[in-house]
Amino acid sequence: MVEIVSPLEPDYHRGAHGNRDGGSAVTLSETQPGSIVQLAAWPGQDGAMRALVKTVTGLDLDAAPGAGAVDESSAAFGFAPGRWLVVDQIEGLAETLREKIGNDLGTVCDLSHGRTAIAVEGEKAERLLSKFYALDFSLAAFPVATAKSTAHHDVFTLIQRTGADRFDLYVYRSFARSFWHLLCASAEEFGYTVE
Amino acid sequence: MLIPCPYCGPRDLSEFTYQGDANRTRPNPMSNDQSAWNAYVYERVNTAGDHREFWQHSGGCRAHLAVVRSTLTHEIKSVAFAREVAK
Amino acid sequence: MSPRRAHNGGRIDRSTTLRFTFDGTAMTGHAGDTLASALLANGISVVGRSFKYHRPRGVFSAGIEEPNALVTVIKGKLREPNIPATQIELYDGLAVESQNRFPSLAFDFGAANGLAGNLFAAGFYYKTFMGPVAGPLKGTRFWMFCEHFIRRAAGLGRAGHEPDTDRYEKMYGFCDVLVVGSGPSGLMAAKHAAATGKKVFLAEQEPEFGGSLRWKSAAIDGRPAADWVAATLADLAALPNVTLLPRTTVWGYYDDNALGALERVADHKAHAALGEPRQRHWTIRAKDVVLATGAFERPIVFPGNDRPGIMLAAAAARYATEFGVLPGERIAIFANNDSAYEAALALKDAGAEIAAIIDVRAGVSIAARELAREAGGELLLGYAVTNTSGARRLREIEVQAFADGKVKDGATRAFAVDCLAVSGGWSPAIHLASQAGHAPQWDEALQAFLPPAPTQPWTGAGAFTGAYSTSAALGDDIAVSEPEIEYEPAPVFEIRPTGKKSGKAFVDLQHDVTASDIRLAHREGFQSVEHLKRYTTLGMATDQGKSSNVPGLAIMAAARGLPIPEVGTTRFRPPFSAVSLGALAADRHGHFKPERLTPMHDWHVARGARMYAAGLWYRPMIYGTGGETVEQAYVREAKAVRASVGIVDVSTLGKIAVQGPDAAELLDRVYTNLFSTLPVDKARYGLMLREEGIAFDDGTTWRLGEHDFLMTTTTANAGKVMQHLEHYLDCVWPDLRVHVTSVTDEWAGAAVAGPNARHVLEACVEGTAVDNDALPFMGIVRGEIAGAPVMICRLSFSGELAYEVYCGAGHGQHVWDALMNAGQQFDIVPYGLEALGTLRIEKGHVTGAEIDGRTSPRDLYLDWMLSKKKPYVGSAMVDREGLVAADRVRLVGIVALEDRPLQGGAHIVERLGEEPRGSIGHITAFCFSPALGKYIALALVKGGKARHGQRAFVSDPVRNRYGPVEIVSHHFFDPEGSRMHG
Repeated sequence: MVEIVSPLEPDYHRGAHGNRDGGSAVTLSETQPGSIVQLAAWPGQDGAMRALVKTVTGLDLDAAPGAGAVDESSAAFGFAPGRWLVVDQIEGLAETLREKIGNDLGTVCDLSHGRTAIAVEGEKAERLLSKFYALDFSLAAFPVATAKSTAHHDVFTLIQRTGADRFDLYVYRSFARSFWHLLCASAEEFGYTVE
Repeated sequence: MLIPCPYCGPRDLSEFTYQGDANRTRPNPMSNDQSAWNAYVYERVNTAGDHREFWQHSGGCRAHLAVVRSTLTHEIKSVAFAREVAK
Repeated sequence: MSPRRAHNGGRIDRSTTLRFTFDGTAMTGHAGDTLASALLANGISVVGRSFKYHRPRGVFSAGIEEPNALVTVIKGKLREPNIPATQIELYDGLAVESQNRFPSLAFDFGAANGLAGNLFAAGFYYKTFMGPVAGPLKGTRFWMFCEHFIRRAAGLGRAGHEPDTDRYEKMYGFCDVLVVGSGPSGLMAAKHAAATGKKVFLAEQEPEFGGSLRWKSAAIDGRPAADWVAATLADLAALPNVTLLPRTTVWGYYDDNALGALERVADHKAHAALGEPRQRHWTIRAKDVVLATGAFERPIVFPGNDRPGIMLAAAAARYATEFGVLPGERIAIFANNDSAYEAALALKDAGAEIAAIIDVRAGVSIAARELAREAGGELLLGYAVTNTSGARRLREIEVQAFADGKVKDGATRAFAVDCLAVSGGWSPAIHLASQAGHAPQWDEALQAFLPPAPTQPWTGAGAFTGAYSTSAALGDDIAVSEPEIEYEPAPVFEIRPTGKKSGKAFVDLQHDVTASDIRLAHREGFQSVEHLKRYTTLGMATDQGKSSNVPGLAIMAAARGLPIPEVGTTRFRPPFSAVSLGALAADRHGHFKPERLTPMHDWHVARGARMYAAGLWYRPMIYGTGGETVEQAYVREAKAVRASVGIVDVSTLGKIAVQGPDAAELLDRVYTNLFSTLPVDKARYGLMLREEGIAFDDGTTWRLGEHDFLMTTTTANAGKVMQHLEHYLDCVWPDLRVHVTSVTDEWAGAAVAGPNARHVLEACVEGTAVDNDALPFMGIVRGEIAGAPVMICRLSFSGELAYEVYCGAGHGQHVWDALMNAGQQFDIVPYGLEALGTLRIEKGHVTGAEIDGRTSPRDLYLDWMLSKKKPYVGSAMVDREGLVAADRVRLVGIVALEDRPLQGGAHIVERLGEEPRGSIGHITAFCFSPALGKYIALALVKGGKARHGQRAFVSDPVRNRYGPVEIVSHHFFDPEGSRMHG
């Protein structure tokens, strides 16, 4: 397979940056999953679609809006009525899902190239993201594994909380580099590490 | 202003796009009744008070919502998915 | 005499010396000083010149309400004007300039305005500069002529011209309770809320928490108030559920308890720390809000009340107590309430001599008498200050007996003083409450507007509610020792000496509005509060009348013979105090604003492409090869396409996945032409209209499967088309089983165009044939290029044999490189937007310049795309009378008959005389056509086709381009389309 080129590449500088007074309070990384796939269910097929996700990835999604699940190699979450994002380290997930979905369940849309996945982790992760999104990032309001759809100016973003102090962001590829610049600049005051 | 999206919960106005008056009914597509089409395309009630309108959660789940909002106070009286109201 | 630093006292750090300059003069202060306190400590009396009369003015207050001491802060080349000196924390290296003086603060030419007496009374500008009824400067033209000079003379600071290089950021905060203000009541509210486990934000506009407790003499729980503040703050700071926000002004109260706040993160430093913004703008969503915003002291209006050395009484006490600065050596107090007596004692304790306490009331409380006795000086009850003197600084005040609201005739007494501390009572700071409440309520006893009934979930506390004492603010559980003074003032707002000509009595110091201006407004009929405000500009300066509104209202009420509440009060609107535009714009502006880059962006830049912003996208305009003009570059690129082959990045085109069993049905409904008949692996050009029959967008849509389409849109309309589809699916046809998803970013696109385009593909595409049989016009094939999966559609925008090659965005550069390699033997040339535009103009293809939101499909000669077999969005209205009228502008081609460029937006006119007449349309797009060897354009012209072959003229007054043109068909080049079908 031909390697997927990251849109961040020229400006992705591994290492420690920013204000070093307190070490690194956040870690930024592009996670480069092999597959990012949207599933969209026809009305009434939500349960069946979640069952399909469970069959294919083993991830258990409940019916609540924004509900999600995470394991070591994959993640899935609802981000809109009848829509889920399924992310896996393995490439070709869209094909697997397409084969199993049939006509009556819904549709599969491969976004593996079109979305850039960025993880923000660390004690200042909530504070950093509060600079961009009008969302309450506290653990009580945004529990682990759940997800939200939101936007920073025109940068549409899906955010899944994948740990107490970790968030996985999915942004449109074309916006990714300018968003990355903003993310790094905004993390400068805390000190940050790019992994 | 907050709009309580039925999927995403209460969200800031900045995430939404106003998508027009929801009091209108689109004429039958085969209809050539120009006054009905004129009414649909151009005429608005401009209510001072509770107003039915569409908002898209464009910076969120992208669903269109049918919202009843007081144009006097911005109070949101009800919100539902437009799909469910349109049925 | 001058103000000076007291020998001891204050909360400043006398061991730290900070250097600063004022109008270039080096001075020093201490850590903890504001610029205002440091200027006073350096003996500076005059800090600025007044707005209209250029009168010398001194520091008048100690807080955000400051009307006089506005300065310009200089940082490097940046100038920030109109900052109250009371709000500037001193730092080493601070540089400020005074304002509105020419040539210098000490000697000011504009002060002559003061000698002109009443010339500058209310409405002066309106009346004087109306201009004659006829002539070149008639009516408002005269005003426009004079305005420049007036604005220069009257005004505030001068903004700089350098771009603002500071960093600003935004922050969203969510809390259970937001407490605004950290005086005694704010601290208590925060403490109580925090104790219940709630998430609390405590916002304080000053650098230090504690409010009045930082300068009041009260003892709390047996210890000095300041110690209690320190202990309470330490407790709060230790709690994980409390966020302390010093230097944070809550400036706006919006729907659903959203509040805007400005945190001045680094304004008090010479340099912000690494990564630190200068200012941070907060949007705070609070479940509950406690407004503990305190109260503003009001002045009393009397002749000569603006002389440097005259200031608010509590401010004078604050300078003495908090900053260890004596605003004068020999001070008189002038009051209509008890609170000034506390100030008198504080000033005496700091080392000043109290010359006299002058009170308009005949009798005062026992506590006040006791304070007066301790403070020393003569107590003059039933007296008022009726005049002042002193050229650059207060020297003397005149005092006369006063009773029943009037100055008594008779002898005056004079006191030589260098400071007069004035208190006209207190006005609760109800600004935020007014933004989130009904009309404020007048309280007769307190002679003040109290907070209105809320329209949002907030509660009030402390002085904000009219409970001015520290014990009331802290509640019953805390023992407070303070003088039991009475805050109810006498209802006296203005002192008007009778019989003699007296000096100006100022109501609004910052805008130089006098008491007589208000009476003039009354006489001329501007009696409502809103008219009064606009006619006199009372309360419209940067301080927004924080200290002047109520006295102004009271004077108007007296003139009208009405009680104050019947005259009313204006509603306070955001912002409460100035908010920098930088903080509001934050990352929306400058180099952090969002931008969209295609997968091949870096290649374009490396190849010397001049990038062009198309919405948020960046696209190559031309690829410069040293020394070429833009025209030379695009002509070279366009020629290469027609001669051999070119390649252009089309990744920015909007792409929408339209999936589901009803996908074809949806397309039939939104496009004017049929898509349900389109076979799989074929593409079709489609046109969308809006409901009213106006053209909306165009593009090709590819059928990838029975239920699977890839729609492309123009770059500019991608978002709008997406919303258009979503709107119909959600609101109009919820029964259709279709999903639409934006996949613009999923695919990289490259268009390969030119007679050799097929050879280029043949040289690099694997897994599929690309000959005419395998890939006919509008056909789609799938294969691989250099190992990357690609989808190729044969379609043409340039009129040449052309293909669009799509691949995963992450493979975009890889595939592009392979295409360039394969094209090398054909001298493949990358081309930019200019060449793309040239090729399409030669072909007469429309884009957003012609689909401009006003044109119908007929105007663009796209009627052939309007299906008669089915209804579609816009079909019911596309044949309306107005849209088929004969005089509509329609698409034509234009050829310049002189060898000079045409310009977009230029008019096409029928006659060209001394003044061109008879516009028949305008140019939408233009280029030099290498195919024709002429300057050509597309235009929308009345009559359209009927004018082909006619002579007309281009008229472009803005760019001074006039000349003859010929109107021709918009299909300039290869009208039969033989090249692209070849």
